[in-house]
Amino acid sequence: MERSFAKEVQALRLGAGEVFRGEGILAVTKALLQSGVSYVGGYQGAPVSHLLDVMVEAKDLLAELGVHVETCTNEASAAAMLGASVNYPLRGAVTWKSIVGTNVAADALSNLASPGVTGGALIVVGEDYGEGASVIQERTYAYALKSSLLLIDPRPDLAHMVDMVGHAFALSEASSMPAVLMLRIRACHVRGRFACRDNVAPPISTREAMEGPASFDYTKLAHPPVTFGHEKKKSGERIPAARRYIAQHRLNERLGGTRGDVGLVVQGGLYNSLVRALQQLGLADDMGEPALAVLVLNVTYPLVPDEIADFCRDKRAVLVLEEGQPEFIEQEILATLRRANLATPVAGKDLLPMAGEYTVEAIARGLSAFLARHAPGIASEEGDAWLAATAARREEVAKDLGRALPARPPQFCVGCPERPVFAALKLVQQDIGPVHVAADIGCHAFATFEPFSQGHSILGYGMSLASRAGVSPMMRRRALAVMGDGGFWHNGLITGVQSALFNRDDAVLMILKNGYTSATGTQEIISTPADDVKSHAADQAQSRVHDNQVIEATLRGLGVQWLRVVDSYDVTKMRATVDEALTTDFAGLKVIVAEGECQLERQRRVKPWRARLLSERKRVVRVKYGVDEDTCSGDHSCIRLSGCPTLSVKPASDPLRVDPVATVLDGCVGCGLCGSNAHAASLCPSFYRGEVIQNPNWRDRMLSRVRRAVIGVFQ
Amino acid sequence: MKPICILVGALGGEGGGVLAQWLIEAATEAGYATQGTSIPGVAQRTGATTYYVEIFPVPVAKLGGRAPVLSLYPVPGAVDLVVASELLETGRIVAAGMASRERTTVVTSTSRTLTTAEKMVMGDGRFDSQRLLEVARKHSRALAAFDMNAAAARANTVVSAVMFGAVAASGVLPFGRDVCERIVRASGRGADASLAGFAAGFEGSQDVVQAAAPAAPARDAFSEFPPSVREIVALGHARTVEFQDAAYGELYLTRVRRVLAAEGAAHDGALTREAARFLALWMCFDDVVRVADLKTRASRIQRVRREVGAADEDVVRIVDHMKPGVPEFAGLLPSALATRLVRWDRSRQARGKAPLAFALKLRTDAIGGFLLLRMLAACRGWRRRGGRFAQEQALIESWLAAVIAAAQNDWNVGNELALCGRLVKGYGATNERGKHNLAHILRELAPGGRFANPAAHAAAIREARVAALADEGGKALDQALVAHGLPARPVVAQPVRWVRKSAATRTGTDA
Repeated sequence: MERSFAKEVQALRLGAGEVFRGEGILAVTKALLQSGVSYVGGYQGAPVSHLLDVMVEAKDLLAELGVHVETCTNEASAAAMLGASVNYPLRGAVTWKSIVGTNVAADALSNLASPGVTGGALIVVGEDYGEGASVIQERTYAYALKSSLLLIDPRPDLAHMVDMVGHAFALSEASSMPAVLMLRIRACHVRGRFACRDNVAPPISTREAMEGPASFDYTKLAHPPVTFGHEKKKSGERIPAARRYIAQHRLNERLGGTRGDVGLVVQGGLYNSLVRALQQLGLADDMGEPALAVLVLNVTYPLVPDEIADFCRDKRAVLVLEEGQPEFIEQEILATLRRANLATPVAGKDLLPMAGEYTVEAIARGLSAFLARHAPGIASEEGDAWLAATAARREEVAKDLGRALPARPPQFCVGCPERPVFAALKLVQQDIGPVHVAADIGCHAFATFEPFSQGHSILGYGMSLASRAGVSPMMRRRALAVMGDGGFWHNGLITGVQSALFNRDDAVLMILKNGYTSATGTQEIISTPADDVKSHAADQAQSRVHDNQVIEATLRGLGVQWLRVVDSYDVTKMRATVDEALTTDFAGLKVIVAEGECQLERQRRVKPWRARLLSERKRVVRVKYGVDEDTCSGDHSCIRLSGCPTLSVKPASDPLRVDPVATVLDGCVGCGLCGSNAHAASLCPSFYRGEVIQNPNWRDRMLSRVRRAVIGVFQ
Repeated sequence: MKPICILVGALGGEGGGVLAQWLIEAATEAGYATQGTSIPGVAQRTGATTYYVEIFPVPVAKLGGRAPVLSLYPVPGAVDLVVASELLETGRIVAAGMASRERTTVVTSTSRTLTTAEKMVMGDGRFDSQRLLEVARKHSRALAAFDMNAAAARANTVVSAVMFGAVAASGVLPFGRDVCERIVRASGRGADASLAGFAAGFEGSQDVVQAAAPAAPARDAFSEFPPSVREIVALGHARTVEFQDAAYGELYLTRVRRVLAAEGAAHDGALTREAARFLALWMCFDDVVRVADLKTRASRIQRVRREVGAADEDVVRIVDHMKPGVPEFAGLLPSALATRLVRWDRSRQARGKAPLAFALKLRTDAIGGFLLLRMLAACRGWRRRGGRFAQEQALIESWLAAVIAAAQNDWNVGNELALCGRLVKGYGATNERGKHNLAHILRELAPGGRFANPAAHAAAIREARVAALADEGGKALDQALVAHGLPARPVVAQPVRWVRKSAATRTGTDA
């Protein structure tokens, strides 16, 4: 795993009256335990991966409480896990990254929501939207609408978020609807504090297990004919029950209203940004108390029509602040007011951006336009001056800079085993021409950036092989699908491999077997090398993924006949193997497994191991690559085949030369790609591998002395 | 009272999150309401990212139980402190309009972590650091700039500790250095190093670093050349003598004199200086003899020890990665023989085989590997009689002839052609490509007949030169040439292998 969560696990033990300090997603994790959750599951992914990471590490605490934690193989399996709350009064919570995770979970979610739940079911989704997001920009809201899920979008204040988790379970139980708690990226990572309550051991748990199954009840099945009844219940009973609970517990808040007679309706998650925008316009005090009337929707689905009508009734106009498209809430408010025969003008996406994050500035611009139109008396000159100055400053800086700043997308880590595979792929295409590359989700998607710029399509996690099924028959050249081991287990095995074998496709699949999944957390999967294998290895710096052969065995078991396993770092061999796969007469599915353990994980082992050996004054061999500046051509072909963060350029120290030369920075982990590329691509002879022997033994020292003596004679 | 707004710019994995956490802990300890957030995501993998912290400057005790609402987003023009561990990231924040002259203190590292886009350029793709600094200065209330990474390295810690020190020194925090240091001390492992880094950051941010230009050494020798040319000529002369012999050094000087005569006195030898620079580099072309010589020098072995960070008592093994092929060896043979050998290798390649080459991992620190290289280095005498030497001299002469002819007519055209010497560099395929491009420019662009005036002629050459460095495939160069109504470079014959689907799966009409 990416890091240790020992400190965070401690925070989960805090009792009543103690203060929790930390990130939003961990506050929510603590809130689950305070709400008497019985089981927790999920699929990792930023920005919510810490929830599951911490739960997994908090084994002891969870055993004491009787809470079960499951690391699910994908979001569909996590959503299906909530099925436990259909028949039994169990509170359960699962988590994933949305929109992509919700897409994968959609089938199970529909089947969960149709019969409805007995015990509270909560899905904590990280709304991966806006700056820092890594997925398609869509709203989770659509799922709440179509499947009748509760959607909770709380104000990003830790104490409030924790309260809303408790309400979410109760609301779910009151309405039989599964609940979705939606947290934006910045809310997941917001650091704040809240006063804890004691954890609650669930009445039914791994410690207090049920004796046997519930009695047979056909209405709990998502199966006709009861599905027709379920549909009626959603609108006839469940949503009205939810609305009653929301109104009764005042989950939506009415704040401010001392000035003017216009109103603002805002998603809870946007509240802090709205307050700052109001402050910039002089319409909120220093503590953040708004002067305008605000309706904060902490539950954005279902809306409570009476609340909306009451809020809008006496207003001259209302502005709806709703992030993303389409404007579901705004449309529903318009319909609600029309039905109530209220003529209050409603503004929203006509004044605010349809697409993109609602930053403070975006909100302020919308507010400014809204006030100018509907309440010119309270429009703020100071605020407008600030907005104008900001636009002018940006223009001025752009002019001063002269050209666009180079982008800095994420990239493969230093020594990553996936980088050499794409170097080989680049070289193969120099030999046999361009190849259609079906890319996938995972760290390897960084190969779509420079210097590799590889990949024609990304259709989803584990979908690469499936996504070339229509391309291959239409092209005279073979296409190549690239997939990580994470994607392989998440989906690719079934949607890709099985399909290609069944259809006898002439397909090529490259599996990057690095032993872990998730670009944002390196979580373990079924093909992760076992802990004892790793800890007992004589050389901790070595890749251990070859010790786990589940992927190979699975492929053979399914009937893959053409299977090659290649060391990722051997660029020459990889180049030849890819070349063979793309040109062989073998007609079926060809799979190359590129084997090399995630370097982050290896370095996490290597650093303490080396430190211990050095402190015991034992022999340690450390490798660092280097470039001989004198022979470096300054052409940077090596960088165009690597992009390693530690392979950089520096000014030439030779005054005759004008172009910068290549250099290897400190931080090189000695993966060997520089040398491997130099050979595979016949680069310049500048690269050397330096092997530093610390605490050398007597043989090292003697040999070195003899060598230096002989060499000295000829120098 | 407005909250104090702090925006941190960093690269993923640099410890920006630790800094944000320290800030929050310090503010909490000092009794202030605070909030921070971040957007790590995949940016953890060395991408650009930011952290944002707000501190409400009234102690919680005096707020009467009320909690201020703090923002999760930085607001452009309403940031009190921008601190970034990398200069381009500072530029990015300023370009987003975050910093303002009225309110923002900017504390930036002067160090650059170059982006892939900058590094992969065939020539020099680095963004101008000076320009980034100027923009940051112009759009800030106060600017402190120093090399945070160097400070971190000196303190043997990570850059986040240095940044924290710089933040504490910036004067925007409502509490003192002691609180910050207490938090660092309590952070456990590595606290001493972190404190040293903190101190370095605290002191470093007090001064603005000025880059001192290195003073050019005075040159008395080579007085026949204009003063601005002397240093380059001296270096070039020394380099050519070392490469081959005194006669070769004399040949170098003779060539430079010819260029100088053509240039005349009007431009203080600016053309001659650049021609002399690229001439020296070209005349000392990289061949196996030179590489073997450079790799076996005592100074090189010392440099390698330094670069790999070896302590005196450590033993260092050096493995050199080389892959000499047929052209490299042929270069040492007489022309006729060399031509036959290269032709044989090409015919092999045409049959779909890989070019014959030897992938060597030579242990230069061991006796066998070292002596092999020494022997190669001793083949210097053969070089003069070899095919490569003759070929290079012929190409050099054709370039010089074009430069001289053009310079006599129009200085600018001559200067542009002289600068085209930059295209020839390196080894193997890189070197071939450069010479291929230069030869084409000389053939098609050096004669000026088709241009309206010398200024247009010079501009066309400059455009072609820049284009030649734009991409490996030469697409940009071809486009630049075609834009001037000139032919694209001739296509170099390359064996083509069609990737067909196997007979078993091929269906339909194609045979």
